[in-house]
Amino acid sequence: MTTSQSVTTFRRNPPTGMRAGFGMLTRIVRTKAEKGHHVRNQTVKAAVLVASALLLAACGTNKTESGSSGGNNSSNTQQGCDQSKDTLVIGVIAPQSGGLSALGLGIRNSAELAVEQANEKCAVPGYKLKVQTEDDQATPQVGAQAATRLSSNAKVIGVIGTLNSSVAQSVQPVLQAKKIVQVSPANTSPSLTRGDDFLNNPKRKYDNYFRVCATDDVQGPFAAKYLVGKAGKKSIAIITDGKTYGEGLASEFKKQAEKDGAKIVATEKVGEKDTDFSTVINAVRGANPDAIYYGGEYPQAGPLSKQAKDLGLNVPVMGGDGVYDPKFIELGGKEGDLATSVGAPVDSLDTAKAFVDAYKAKKYKDELGAYGAFSYDAANVIIGALAQTVKSGDWSESQRAALITNVGSFSAPGATGELKFDQYGDSTNKLMTVYKVSGGKWNPDETGTFGG
Amino acid sequence: MATLLQQLISGLVLGGQIALIALGYTMVYGIIQLINFAHGEVFMVSVFGALATYNWFIPESWQQTWPLALLAMLVGAVVVAVVLAVLMERFAYRPLRNAPRLAPLITALGVSVMLKEIVRLSFPGATAAVHVPRAFWDEPITFKVPGGTVVIGSTGLLVIVVAIVGAVLLQVYISRSRMGRAMRATAQDPDTARLMGVDPNRTIVLTFVIGGALAGVAGVLYGVHLNNVDTDAGFLTGIFAFTAAVLGGVGSIKGAVIGGFIIGVIKTVGGQYLPGGTAYDLVWIFVLLILVLVFRPQGLFGEPERVRA
Amino acid sequence: MNIPPGWAWLGQALLIIAGIILVIWLCRLGERRGTAYLADRPAYLRPLALLGGVLALLSALLPWVTFELNDGVYPELSTLQFFDEPWGVTGFRGFILLLGLASIVLAFVPIPAKRRVYRAIGLALFGITLFNTGFIIYYGGGIGAATAADGVVAFGGLVGLVAAAVVWFAHRSGPLEQVPLWNSKVSRAVAYPVLLLAFIALLLVVAMLLRAGTTADGDSRAYAGPIFLSLLFFISGVILALNGLGFTKWLTDVSDKHRLWSVVVLLGCSIALPFTEAGTDYWMTIAVNIGVYAATAIGLNIVVGLAGLLDLGYIAFLGIGAYVAANFSEASAAAFGIKLPFLAAAIVAAVVAGVFGAIVGSPTLRVRGDYLAIVTLAFGEIFRKAAQNDIGGLTGGANAIPDIPPISAFGQSFSAPLEIGGVKLPSGVLYYILVVVLVAVVMLVFANLKDSRIGRAWIAIREDEDAARAMGIKTGQAKILAFLIGATLAGLAGAVFAHKTSTVAYDSFQFIESVTLLAAVILGGMASIPGAVLGSALLIVLPEKLRDFQDLRLFLFGLALVLIMRFRPQGLIPDRHRRAELADEGVVEAPSQEHNVADSTPGGGAAVTR
Repeated sequence: MTTSQSVTTFRRNPPTGMRAGFGMLTRIVRTKAEKGHHVRNQTVKAAVLVASALLLAACGTNKTESGSSGGNNSSNTQQGCDQSKDTLVIGVIAPQSGGLSALGLGIRNSAELAVEQANEKCAVPGYKLKVQTEDDQATPQVGAQAATRLSSNAKVIGVIGTLNSSVAQSVQPVLQAKKIVQVSPANTSPSLTRGDDFLNNPKRKYDNYFRVCATDDVQGPFAAKYLVGKAGKKSIAIITDGKTYGEGLASEFKKQAEKDGAKIVATEKVGEKDTDFSTVINAVRGANPDAIYYGGEYPQAGPLSKQAKDLGLNVPVMGGDGVYDPKFIELGGKEGDLATSVGAPVDSLDTAKAFVDAYKAKKYKDELGAYGAFSYDAANVIIGALAQTVKSGDWSESQRAALITNVGSFSAPGATGELKFDQYGDSTNKLMTVYKVSGGKWNPDETGTFGG
Repeated sequence: MATLLQQLISGLVLGGQIALIALGYTMVYGIIQLINFAHGEVFMVSVFGALATYNWFIPESWQQTWPLALLAMLVGAVVVAVVLAVLMERFAYRPLRNAPRLAPLITALGVSVMLKEIVRLSFPGATAAVHVPRAFWDEPITFKVPGGTVVIGSTGLLVIVVAIVGAVLLQVYISRSRMGRAMRATAQDPDTARLMGVDPNRTIVLTFVIGGALAGVAGVLYGVHLNNVDTDAGFLTGIFAFTAAVLGGVGSIKGAVIGGFIIGVIKTVGGQYLPGGTAYDLVWIFVLLILVLVFRPQGLFGEPERVRA
Repeated sequence: MNIPPGWAWLGQALLIIAGIILVIWLCRLGERRGTAYLADRPAYLRPLALLGGVLALLSALLPWVTFELNDGVYPELSTLQFFDEPWGVTGFRGFILLLGLASIVLAFVPIPAKRRVYRAIGLALFGITLFNTGFIIYYGGGIGAATAADGVVAFGGLVGLVAAAVVWFAHRSGPLEQVPLWNSKVSRAVAYPVLLLAFIALLLVVAMLLRAGTTADGDSRAYAGPIFLSLLFFISGVILALNGLGFTKWLTDVSDKHRLWSVVVLLGCSIALPFTEAGTDYWMTIAVNIGVYAATAIGLNIVVGLAGLLDLGYIAFLGIGAYVAANFSEASAAAFGIKLPFLAAAIVAAVVAGVFGAIVGSPTLRVRGDYLAIVTLAFGEIFRKAAQNDIGGLTGGANAIPDIPPISAFGQSFSAPLEIGGVKLPSGVLYYILVVVLVAVVMLVFANLKDSRIGRAWIAIREDEDAARAMGIKTGQAKILAFLIGATLAGLAGAVFAHKTSTVAYDSFQFIESVTLLAAVILGGMASIPGAVLGSALLIVLPEKLRDFQDLRLFLFGLALVLIMRFRPQGLIPDRHRRAELADEGVVEAPSQEHNVADSTPGGGAAVTR
């Protein structure tokens, strides 16, 4: 250990010559530089090359319109609307980075689309609306930060989000404290609205929390009734992905299926990052089910269905609205697979078609995702209720309570069906449709409501 | 019986993939004692490389005929993986070769986060699964056994065969060829190897190239066998592969392959028969890893570590 | 036959990459040539400094963009308005103006270590101009945005870059001076007010940084990210200059000599943060999260920084603490019906986490180096899997444990706003004070341990485990103790985390969080106490401030890890011992006993043969 003072670099001199590469090169260059002209030649050559590269890059310049992710330029399209009073903010809390961002970006874009349309249509006279998106990184603590950030802004009227139920749990109390209305496009856990004992003793936890999607205890039993009753499957295997959505859905499905006389022959779990499902499929195959109910989303469900078939387990796979996606079929969903989804079939609903067309016309970089339509509806609920609220006076923080009331009594058709809330803040839209894969696409098979 | 056999076969298929990646870990660790954390991500990127090749780089007529498509995907995946591995070695690891042990490990973590993000940003929607074409002769082979049937897909069989053949070829290359000898010499003592006329840098790059190429092959097989991929594919598979390399004894090629198969079988058979079931299959693999490291740190086929003077 | 679309794209990409590489190479070459030329020409300092300063002034006054960017004018007043509004140069152009003026003035003022100051100015100029030019080009959709388009020219960015280069070369003229040493033996009458002022300045700078880019009512402005980053570059430049002048060294020496006073003032300043402009609900929440992470990171620092044992599953201990505290709260999903007072719950959480720490640490008796990293990673994943599967009904599984009530004392809920004598304090301020106390306690523990017998033992183990054992250190005990204490601190932090976040879900404890903690330790400086706090603060504040770039968050995170390891492995605030070691010979066999590549590890190296 030799000591030489004052040199604070971390790199060791190349004593053994192990670092021959760059270090050597630089030293050679330096000696040449001291000698003179050789390098200048190189420099000129390099300069020419760089200049040409830069020119090439400059050719691609698009100078007036640029890559903001879309929807920010709405300020230019405000012909004739009175937006003089103020700009109000609708917050979006959803994952914008990392693994779940695909869904989160769909939520953001759809909300922006709704707000843009509202600005164009002068939906809220006197006000301009804008969306402020906050990344929750799919973790509760960051979600709480995002919620606090939004809640300390007096101009925030409402929040759309979150994607994850666990994030919702940390966001709810923050927004509640400031009486900011929250409309979730994606939380399906019944306990978020009706408390832990949601079936027998429902108790509303947060009066500012609403959701436009169907809860697990609507969707699961509906699926069970169809699969056991109509399709006549009596021995069913349940596979879940261990996440809140999948687990909740599967457990509600199981309750009803057993009540209807089916036998749950196997219950297995896949890892949320798995792509090879052979273990689970083999385990299930041993129990000879005549159908599989999958609690989870299409990225796993599609390959699962395909791999099951490859391994000789050719039975229908059924899932919830997380599975109802064209990608499911692309990823291996096979003929006869089933999924439930909220509302009447999209083709029969003009509002849904209009939304999808508008989304496509905007040419967003990201796809709509499973929750885009719900997010669009959530935004429209808040906008509609706001329009109602500002009728009775200009917006101020003190009107947040009134806005919550107006959201509670809101009613209008949306892209996912009728938008209306019950006394717990859940969507009253309990209409569900079962879709079946046939001819390479989802086709509606049965529409109805559970218990009806 | 049928179920057990079926789980065993699925385990071997899974193990074959893990083994191919484990070879990359074991070689790099063997030569420069670096856990190349990003190796799992190289594998993941190579699947996307194969996918990009199929989608954007070959004419439609090739897409229709699977041997051509498979070949193109293989080339694409291997090129991507090799280029990536070499760049990583050159710009991330080589400057740190004399730094404390933590530095390259943390760099590897950083590289792996970066690779995942680059893929996510360049394939929108890749965080959810993306479809990869099958590009192989597609015929499940079914056996009758007492108590039912056992199925092995043609692609599954391919995975096992390639893993074993690849390992054998690699073994032969390392023990017979000139470069193989150089690699062994560098692993033993880089300074002496240099004196003997071996260029350690070249040898190390070659190691990364071979590891990358194997990851590329594994990537194509993975895509063709499972027909889907997402950006998380590298993380768990990478950790499994590393576990396999440790289990077999780091530095041992035979060990990596056998370790891979063991891990695969534990995941499938263990997932069914061990307590906790499929929900805890990961846990069992890690428990095994910890037990091996505690009670036989040199792995199944490694030599016991001498106490340093 | 149609050529598939990929090839054209590939060609373009390769060309752009080649262009970038060429630019970088050219810069390196130029820098090297310039340095060689200037090395023995110290007299060039003044003319270069003057030229650079003038260019910087010019750059600040020139227009920067050729058209209005999408989200409004950037930079503010982004036209040539000098003659209308001589003092209307705001934002980053203001910083460039200040740096330019400094460069000109300092050319005539005799100060020690002048070249070090110019280096700082050059770097700050370079950071500000490069970032802003890049941003304008990126956001404006092409190089035309910052040069010429539609007959409008804007060369502010380019001139700024040239100015930065010239100032940088000014510092290259002649040899770099030693950092001047100031006499740190000053009387209390001088030391106390100076320290007080210094910490207050620090507090104000922090508050200013936090509020950068937001409007008065907390709404974030357009371009909040660039505004914040420009300020950050400027402040970094100022700090670097003070560093070069030897001022920070003097200040730390003085504060070392008057430690008690420093600690008191620092605590006072920390608690004063809610009274500054950063005293909003939002920043209180962030600050609490920073505190929780910092406390955990300091715990991790014992394991990694002192004992040299890499842990990649550390977030699990925070999680264990959080779950324990959640189960002893009144949450309806809690497994135990009892509610412990917060302090008791926190102690139980710390103890349980500590026990788990000892368990996780036990393989260290046999497992070394990189293998240990994998074992800890495995433990982290096992924890997460167990939490997800609701092991023993303790974690709520996928449904988490929601609705954990906030801590309350004397009838005051910690999450509610507070009013003392007419002064309105943001909600969460009590959590903030709790967290400040928590971090202070954790720091105290760490500092005392570090200089104690066991601390020495850890450092010995880090440097050379075999030698440490030969010297009679019970290495096994010491290592397990490191894990135990580290985990205890993390568990304590977890208890606060549970109540503040109000829900404990397995999503909070993913692998990437462990990497974040590790990154916080490394970024700040291993074994350095303020380093861990600074690291956590940066890793939490930067993503909040740079929401404009949130898409790139993880990518930049990964890149930062790589670059830090490459260029500043000792971290931002290196620990003094570590600093000495690193200065020593450039290489420390720090964290593990195994040697570098030159050493053949049997079982590793030889085994390729088989």
